[in-house]
Amino acid sequence: MTRSGSRRFRQILLHAVLGPLALLWILPLWIMVVFATMPSNAIFSPNLNLIPGDRFMENFRELQAATGFTRTLLVSIVVATVSTALSVMLTSMAGWALVRYRFKGRAMVIALIFGTMTLPYFVVVIPQFIMVARDFGLSNTWFALIVPPLFNSLGVLFMRQSFSMMPHELFDAAQVEGVKEWQIFTRIALPLAKPTLAALSIILFLASWNNYLWPLLISNQPEMMTAPVALGTLIGFTRVSWGAIMAGAVLMTLPMIVVFIYLQRFFMSGITAGAVK
Amino acid sequence: MRRKTGTAYGFLSPYLLVFAIFWIWPIFYSFWLSFLNTRQPPYTFRPDMTWGRLFQDAAFLNAMKNTFIVLLVQVPLMIALATLMAVLLNSRLLKARGLMRFAFFAPVVVGEVAYAAVFRLMFTAERGVVNKTLESIGLPQVDWFSNPTAAMAVLMMAVTWRWAGYNAILILSGLQSIPDDVYEAATLDRVSPVRQFFHITLPLLKPVILFCIILSIIGTMQLFSEPFLITNRGGPAGATETLGLFLYRQGFTSLNFGYASAIAYTIAAIAVAIAGLNLLFGREKA
Amino acid sequence: MTGVTLRNVRKQFGSLQTIHGVSFDVEPGEFVVFVGPSGCGKSTLLRMIAGLEDISGGEIGIGGRVVNEVEPADRGTAMVFQTYALYPHMTVAENLSFGLRMNKNPQADTERRVAEAARILQIEPLLTRKPKALSGGQRQRVAIGRAIVREPQVFLFDEPLSNLDAELRVQMRVEISRLHSELGATMIYVTHDQTEAMTMADRIVVLRAGRIEQIGAPLELYDNPANQFVAGFIGSPRMNFFAAESQGGGRFRLPQQGGAEIALSLTSPPAPGAMAVVGVRPEHFVEAGAGACDLSLTVDVAEHLGATSYLYANTKAGEPVVAQRAAAREASAGDRISVAIPSDRALAFAADGARIY
Repeated sequence: MTRSGSRRFRQILLHAVLGPLALLWILPLWIMVVFATMPSNAIFSPNLNLIPGDRFMENFRELQAATGFTRTLLVSIVVATVSTALSVMLTSMAGWALVRYRFKGRAMVIALIFGTMTLPYFVVVIPQFIMVARDFGLSNTWFALIVPPLFNSLGVLFMRQSFSMMPHELFDAAQVEGVKEWQIFTRIALPLAKPTLAALSIILFLASWNNYLWPLLISNQPEMMTAPVALGTLIGFTRVSWGAIMAGAVLMTLPMIVVFIYLQRFFMSGITAGAVK
Repeated sequence: MRRKTGTAYGFLSPYLLVFAIFWIWPIFYSFWLSFLNTRQPPYTFRPDMTWGRLFQDAAFLNAMKNTFIVLLVQVPLMIALATLMAVLLNSRLLKARGLMRFAFFAPVVVGEVAYAAVFRLMFTAERGVVNKTLESIGLPQVDWFSNPTAAMAVLMMAVTWRWAGYNAILILSGLQSIPDDVYEAATLDRVSPVRQFFHITLPLLKPVILFCIILSIIGTMQLFSEPFLITNRGGPAGATETLGLFLYRQGFTSLNFGYASAIAYTIAAIAVAIAGLNLLFGREKA
Repeated sequence: MTGVTLRNVRKQFGSLQTIHGVSFDVEPGEFVVFVGPSGCGKSTLLRMIAGLEDISGGEIGIGGRVVNEVEPADRGTAMVFQTYALYPHMTVAENLSFGLRMNKNPQADTERRVAEAARILQIEPLLTRKPKALSGGQRQRVAIGRAIVREPQVFLFDEPLSNLDAELRVQMRVEISRLHSELGATMIYVTHDQTEAMTMADRIVVLRAGRIEQIGAPLELYDNPANQFVAGFIGSPRMNFFAAESQGGGRFRLPQQGGAEIALSLTSPPAPGAMAVVGVRPEHFVEAGAGACDLSLTVDVAEHLGATSYLYANTKAGEPVVAQRAAAREASAGDRISVAIPSDRALAFAADGARIY
């Protein structure tokens, strides 16, 4: 076979494998959209229909009537936004301290933060629940939804990496000029870490937005439910139709897909950040 | 680096405060809890009712068995698939790269509840999308959620759909860190592309694949939302109940915190042990 | 006007000591250059003066005040870094004014100082640009400008020219010297390049392995090095060294040169039989027969620069020798030439490297 012939063959083979696989992979998301826009009786009609309909608003109204879904979306937005902002602040400050200063107990702090990184969440969730729900009686509060999940080693790891890659002479130069440490952090280090901050924010926002187990444990009153929890209460029961559930799934998923499309670069670096060693 | 202990802890303290209250303290507390009878207050020291019960509890052994089935079947398949995706997506011959990447990576942003709902709907026995498709190509329909094996299969397919792309992103970043000139040199030495893959690409990808395997093990040990929502609380009859789900039921349905803590530490110990074995095994051959 | 004094200054990293008790004074208004090979501790010493490194022992004084415990910003110093350390997300004007703004300096005064620095360095047209839109030389000027706006008593330069190409380096060398005479401030300058040290310094401090080897004016170090290290480090191409054996009375036998003998006029000549080293700078060789001892050399590489020629040659015993010969424009590789060691310019060193006077 000629050079270009074998190349052509390999290219066709590549697409013959990857193309169908990609179609299969996008199918669940497509079905989500299709069924969210169809009347429920059409979902279970004998013949397969994969063309979106025009009944999204009807489905959404049913969902809204059953769960007050816009309220749960609002709770999710507030929780994800506030916890992302707080978590980014805490982890970047911690990461900065680890890069910039030599101090007593540094080795121990590092060991604690990164040693607990791979510990399964289940080890802490029971005491967290006992503390927040029972001892403090804080179920169904913003505090309970936002504060306990704030801790994450990934953010510290990520920010530490970003700061340590900056030339340290920048900070020395500012220090010689009499710039306070806090200002060196906020005026020089943080602005230069913008790409990392963006990637970290997206990953943390996504994690908080999709978080299920903790809000499930801590919020059971409808007005403090996050969207995943509210939607979860519908699955497996016949209170509302599948079309309404799919409408909720679309409302939860679509914003993230849009963010993903526009900020793919930050997503990728956020996901791979933990893997670089 | 500056030697400034005070300033350093000034920057660290907000983080350490949350860390201490919501992680360090719970780690010790749940360990202590795992020895207590928490069925009714006051809690008493009764390790026989937690650790002692664990390996005589048929439900626990069933959950453990199911979790190991996922570990042994789903994790290897998913990692292999993710590697295939990453290698193919990295090919210079690929057209429509953006669309392809989108198809595989989009599940990464989809929440557990949303995708659980879709999979549950797709695999509905009565006129679900999957069964309608099977029927149209002349295959027998499957009663997905009543048949233990089929339910397990749905669970594994769902998890694979959600996480294969995530692992592919990691592997792809590993692939892109392999310099081109390695392949150019191999091509000049007349090494075929297939042999290049097995003798250059795979060995160089080993660390990142190992990392993916360890992440997947830790994830599988904590598998909860999928059996909770897709297969309806681990059904049929516990056929898809995982350790994570079993812990949830003991801890938060029965509110038996002591027993649930013992389960949590068992999960952690198994995860650490398997991850450690993997690291050891991976190191030796590297 | 402010001087800098160092008293027995030491630096220790754990059990590793990198600066071993350094003492000397920088006079007010003086331009002092720290020079030495990499790892000699010159940058550490500068950073200790700036306050960026802790002082493990001894005292550093600036303007008569001990500054060991004084914050870097309060020492009256400004520093120019090797990598320029310009804040990449700020314009040139913002870079210049950042420190003043953060310290709540009155805005009018800040603007005046920025304008003044920009004028001195001729960077007015660049004020609205970001560092990445500047050439290396322009970045260097901005970095110096950032030091000027602080109106420091002492300027500290940490290898500021090593990231520039050769031509710019010469140009900036002249500019920094001009700046020194214009501002009259005390300047301490670190470099590994002995040419920079020779051309810019009022006095040079030669450092090796955390110790001062010699302090002196450039020509003093050139003419009168205190030891073999300084003799080899100062001057380019470097001094040639020949193994020698004392015959007493200032006479040396050069065993590798066929036992040729050379007589130097020394005030305290070593005892007969002592091993020694005779040093001759490439530019000090004279015509064969005109000196104390002839060397016959085989040219390996000849570099003809026009005004002069450098001949990289080997002795019969294979030792490399560099000779600068203005009249050797025709020499080429493989030629055999003869030069002579001048008895009045040759230096003698003891086996431990100390100069024999």
